[in-house]
Parts: sequence; structure tokens; C-alpha cells
Amino acid sequence: MSSSKRSTIIVEHLRKQQMWDAISKGKRLDGRNLDDIRPLEIELDIIKKANGSAKVKLGNSEVIAGVKIETGEPFEGLENKGALIVSAEVLPTASPYIEPGPPDEETVELARVVDRGIRESEMIDLDKLVLVPGKIVYTIFVDCSIINADGNLFDATSYAVVSALASSKIPVFEMQDGKVVHTGNSQDPPVTTIPVSITAIRIGEAVILDPTSEEEACMNARITVTTNSNGDYTAIQKGSTGAFTVEQIKKAAETARIKGEEVRAKLKESTRDG
Amino acid sequence: MIQTRNLIDENGRRTDGRTADELREIKINVGVVKNADGSAFIEFGKNKIVAAVYGPREVHPKHMALPDRCVLRCRYHMSPFSTDTRKNPAPSRREIEISKVMREALEPALILEDYPRAAIDVFVEVLQADGGSRCAGITAASIALADAGINMRDIVASCAAGKVDEKIVLDINDTEDKEGGADMPVAYMPHLEQITLLQLDGILSYEQFNECIDKAIRGCEIVYEIQRQVLMQKYFGNETELKEEQ
Amino acid sequence: MGMQEIKRKFVVPGDRIAEGNFRPLMNVIKVNNTIIATRIGIAEAGRDGIKVIPLSGVYIPRVNDIVIGKITDHSSLSWEVDINSCFSGHLPAQDVFGRDFSPARDDMGRQLAIGDLITARIIVFDRTRDPMLTIQDKDLGKIPRGEFLKISATRVPRLIGKRGSMIQTIEQATQTRVLIGQNGIVVVTGRNPEGINLAVRAIRMVEEEAHTSNLTQRVKVLLNVPDTPQQTEGTSVTQIEKGQKVEEIQSTIQEVEEEIEEELEKGEKL
Repeated sequence: MSSSKRSTIIVEHLRKQQMWDAISKGKRLDGRNLDDIRPLEIELDIIKKANGSAKVKLGNSEVIAGVKIETGEPFEGLENKGALIVSAEVLPTASPYIEPGPPDEETVELARVVDRGIRESEMIDLDKLVLVPGKIVYTIFVDCSIINADGNLFDATSYAVVSALASSKIPVFEMQDGKVVHTGNSQDPPVTTIPVSITAIRIGEAVILDPTSEEEACMNARITVTTNSNGDYTAIQKGSTGAFTVEQIKKAAETARIKGEEVRAKLKESTRDG
Repeated sequence: MIQTRNLIDENGRRTDGRTADELREIKINVGVVKNADGSAFIEFGKNKIVAAVYGPREVHPKHMALPDRCVLRCRYHMSPFSTDTRKNPAPSRREIEISKVMREALEPALILEDYPRAAIDVFVEVLQADGGSRCAGITAASIALADAGINMRDIVASCAAGKVDEKIVLDINDTEDKEGGADMPVAYMPHLEQITLLQLDGILSYEQFNECIDKAIRGCEIVYEIQRQVLMQKYFGNETELKEEQ
Repeated sequence: MGMQEIKRKFVVPGDRIAEGNFRPLMNVIKVNNTIIATRIGIAEAGRDGIKVIPLSGVYIPRVNDIVIGKITDHSSLSWEVDINSCFSGHLPAQDVFGRDFSPARDDMGRQLAIGDLITARIIVFDRTRDPMLTIQDKDLGKIPRGEFLKISATRVPRLIGKRGSMIQTIEQATQTRVLIGQNGIVVVTGRNPEGINLAVRAIRMVEEEAHTSNLTQRVKVLLNVPDTPQQTEGTSVTQIEKGQKVEEIQSTIQEVEEEIEEELEKGEKL
């Protein structure tokens, strides 16, 4: 059951006033334009024990994604595809407002939206990751630990997952006498496209990209749009308790395609050398 | 634990090339989690661990508050990608036990009476595990607590010693942990010269036990020097005192 | 160990500061005959004893401190105020409406709404309950406008400076008025946005470099203020006695309030 909550972050009126004044002039409190994204830093292969990993800093939001690849049973109804499972945890280190415990609805939504963006775009060709059709497939776990939360965890987490997956090394397994054996070799992941998630929020009549947590505390509504390398839309999620006009949604979707290309170039560049 | 193969070669070198008394490489960064009141990131061998402290802060729910002192809460958790096989994110019994001994290792150093009805939260997350992660976690947590400005009697340093090939060695690594004869993690307050964490997993004779504990404490003292240097560097650079202004 | 050697030594928790018959003051403990630091900071030895001036740590309320707080909630009898500490402050409705306050007649939300900032004084605080505030004194009350920033509470004395010297230097050079709460909340007001931005940058510089030598010089360089020889600062770290601290802040607040009142013409009764 999902219920309304009192806001955890109460933004000072003076700060809100400053924010609205700045937005009316096309700027934000940190000096960005309305559709500027914060500096994006990507560091690959930081968890050597994992098959792939990435640390992403989007402004002050910091996420680490780790890929672990094993073998196991396929999902029901998807017997001839590898299994891909994306999870996320907002660590209690991330902000004063997090309580340790099982994932709350915000975290569950975050993990599922990020997963959807990767899965629906078919970033990884799961058909190529089957050992014994119908019985044994490659299982790819991507787990994210959000270390510091300063807004737009959707995009930060998505970029970490994409970077970790694209730069991972898949151990090559084979069947010997009915048992799964690791050959000792590894292969590049079968990547078909690079999905990019772009999140925007509405404050008053303005739509701004890549919000900080302070801006999220003042938002009416939020929209996350994921595009693939063709510019097609593969996942969309509207969040928070306000509403968008149809115009705003269409404009946000259009901006997501354009900005998505910029971010895609950056993701490709960092994984190419990885 | 009965050893099945030799872990120290004929030159006295261990599986990672170290001698019996050598610590793995340690690197610590302070103040890495922006939202936290205090934080530290430690690389101890291949361990990569982040510790964040929030506090003193309000206790939720209110009825958990203590009238005359602060509540200390510690969480030790391993990220699913931190171990050889992927770990389920839900807290395991091992993590629950380590959270407890970690809290009991840090609590003696904190002056909790200074903060009645408040809470101090310590969150240790293991991003990559390599034997001795609880020691590295406690070491990082102590720095995070000092960074947060919590009143402390002393800094807690932590290191493990163990038995490998019937020899007592300092700071056992992952392989030695899994295949060796004994593992003894220790946490220590170097100025007060008191032990706040001690566990043993394995078999040690009376002499081996004494040697092991002495070795572990010397390891803690080495770790402490690094902790102190890192804090001084972060806050004061290379200075040791405030010079007069012209 | 002589007093001179202790003066302004940088310490971390557990460090031995001195041995002998010294009185432990702030952020130190005495174990046997040794004074030990309990926080990261600067050890200071004075006539009364030894203390450590901390460089990190959340704000712990003290009676008579002037703080800037944010209204976060209200019950029918009081407002809850976030004072950037581990304890929430309470502002009783009676403090604002008077003795004959009636929840039926007096609308709390209209006086002080959630998100409003107030300058308040802590009148009661002890180990058994949350701090109680008042806004009834002169120069206290709702802050109607200004640029808001948060600094570490441990850097506030440095920002104020000896007898207010540091903050006055900033205010004069940038044509702004700066309200400072002991809890690390700062509000900057002024007519000129560039002046406000420069003041904010100077404040951030002081916060980051509070414990370094020659800070005043560097701040003056940032503000383009000539460093006249008469303006010697003495020690970089101030040791303001409690009463003096309140006075300084109150005089700063007084100046801001006067300016705001002038600008608004119609003062809002609080």
C-alpha cells in the first residue's frame, strides 16, 4: 500500500524564492541553465572482483554499480534468453533522511525504472547468453549501491549500470559431463545499443533537467525518459504527486532525445577505452 | 580450520608476497560522502570500504532515545558485488554479528554522555571484500567519527593477526582467512592501551595466542599512525600548529 | 610542558596535550594527570585551563545562543523549529501571541509558516528536554528576505572575528548586512547582487580556511580591500566570552533589522 508522506526535506522559503527568481531568468541556484546537466564523471573497473563495475558521479550524486555473472535457470516464459536482474539500494550513507531497512517504495521504483530502461532497449542481447536452452542460462546481476544522494538518482544509477555492463567481461562457461564449467576465458558482452535516461522536473511552469535534491524537494512532478541509440523511446516514468501539461511532456521527451545523444557520446567514450 | 596446502614459501613469502610482519597497503580518504557529518573511504589490501557517520542527530522513533546518553547504531553491510559470489542484499547473520561487534568496538571510545537523547549512526559498506573487512571497517569508522566531530577518548585502530603454516602472521588476507589455521581480529585504543574488539576463529596454543595478540596490537599501532596522519593531513595540511598572523 | 608549547597546537582525538595540574575546559578530558583532546581542533591553553577549539561537529545548543531556525511544523501550542542541530527547537505560541493565546482565535500558520526563517534566542535547554526559543527580544523574529547559506557551526567564531572584525570587513566591502546564527545558518542581505555574491564567496573562504594563518589578509585580497597596517588581528582564533558573543551578534542583527525595517516601511508585527 502506498500512502502520502509528509515531506522529509523542507526547503526554506528564502531558498525557494531564490530558486523561483533564478528560474524566471533561466538559471538555477548552482548557475546552470534550465537544461544543463551537471558534470558527469565515470570511473570503470573499480571493483576488481566483479565482472564489471562503474562509479558514476552526477554532480554530488554518487553511485557504484557492480556486475556479477553466474549461471542459473532462465526466467519463466523466457527459457531461451539469459537472465538479467538489476537491483539498487540507496545506502543509509547517502543522506540524513534514509532509514536502514528493506527497500522502500522510492527505491523499488528506482530499481525497476532503471531495469526497464536497460531491458526494454535490449541493451544486452540475451539470446546470446544461453548454455542449455530451457535449462541453464547466463545470469547477469547488476547491483547498485547509492553512496551519496543529491538528486536525480534515476539517471545517475542508469549511467552506472550502462557503464558497468558495457565494460564488463563475461566469463565463458561450457557444459562438461552435464556440469557447468568455467573455461577460464572471457568475452565482451553482446551490446546492441546504449540506452540513456534523462530526467526532468517541473517547478512552476518551468521544466528543468537533472535536478539536485533541493530542486526535487520543490518540484511538482518528475519525468524520466529513456532512449536507445536510434532515438526511440524504450521506457518512461512520471513520478511525484503533481502533473504535467501535454506540451511539457512532449517537450521533455524531445529534450531527452537530444540531451540523450550528448550523454550517450560520453558513456561510449568512457567504455571504449575500458 | 585444518590447512590443506602451504601458504608460506621457503623464502618466508606469503601468497601475496608479504613477510610475516608486513601489513597490506592502506590508503584512506577523509570526507568523501558529501551529505554525511563525517566519512572515510579505506583501501586495505583489496578491501574497499566506505564509512559514513550521521550524528549526533535526533532519534527516530523517539521512544528509542536514552535519557542520559547517546544511542550508537552501527550497520556493517556488504554490497552484493563485493564478494566472489554475488551476495544477496538482505543482511546475513554474519553481517548482523559484525554490526554488533563493530558497535561494541567503537562505543568505548565515544563519550556518549555528552549527547543525551540523541543518536549517532555509523554506516559501513563493504564495496569489495578481501579478508579483514571488519578491521578495515572499524578503522574507517573511527576516522569518520572524528571527522564528524564526535567527542572521543581515543581513536580506535583495528587489525587482525592469524596463524598460517603454524606461523603467526600479521594482517591475514582473503586466502589465508579461508585456508589458514586461525584468524584473530583486534580493535585497540592506542593511547588508553585498551582492547575493544577481540575474536578468534581457529586453533591457537597458549604461546601462539600470546604471540598473536601482541602482533595484532602492533598492527593496530601501525594502523593508528596512518589514521592520525590522514586526519592531520586533511584538516591541517603539513602544519602542526597555528602560526601568528602578521 | 610549558603553556607556550601547547598554544594553538593542532590535535586529533586521543592526543596528549599536557601533563600536570591543568583544568580541563572544553573538548578535553583529564585522565590521571594528563589532558587529552577529544576532538579534531586547535589546543589552547589559557589562565583557566586547557580547551580544544573544534573544527568539525554539529551544533549543540547553548542557552542564550542566537540561532537562525526554520519552521518545520506546528502543533496547536507551539512551532517546531529546525535549528540545524541534533535537537529540534520549540517556539511556544504564547511567545508570539502573548499570554492570552487561544488556538481557536489565533492562527499560527499565518504568523509563521512552514519554511519561514526566524532569528531566535535559546532560553531553555538542558539534558532532559529540547531547546525552547523566544523571538520576543529586539532584533529577533521572522527573516523576510536574503540569501541563505549554511556553514559549519564550528567556524562561526572565526566568521564573526575578534569584536566582529571579520564580518564587518566583509559587510563594509560588499555593502551587505550579514545575519549569523551560532548554529551556522547565515543570511546575507543587500541591494546589490554582486555584493551579495562576493560576500557569500568571502564567507565560504572563511569557513574553509578558518584555522589557517593569514586568513584575514586573503579575505581582504578577495574583497579588494587594502590591508592597512593598523588593522592587526592578533590571534587568528577568537576566544569570545559568552556575554560578548551575544552582544556582537545582537548588534549585527540590530543593524540588519534596522535596514530591513527601513526598506519595508511597514514593519510586520511579530
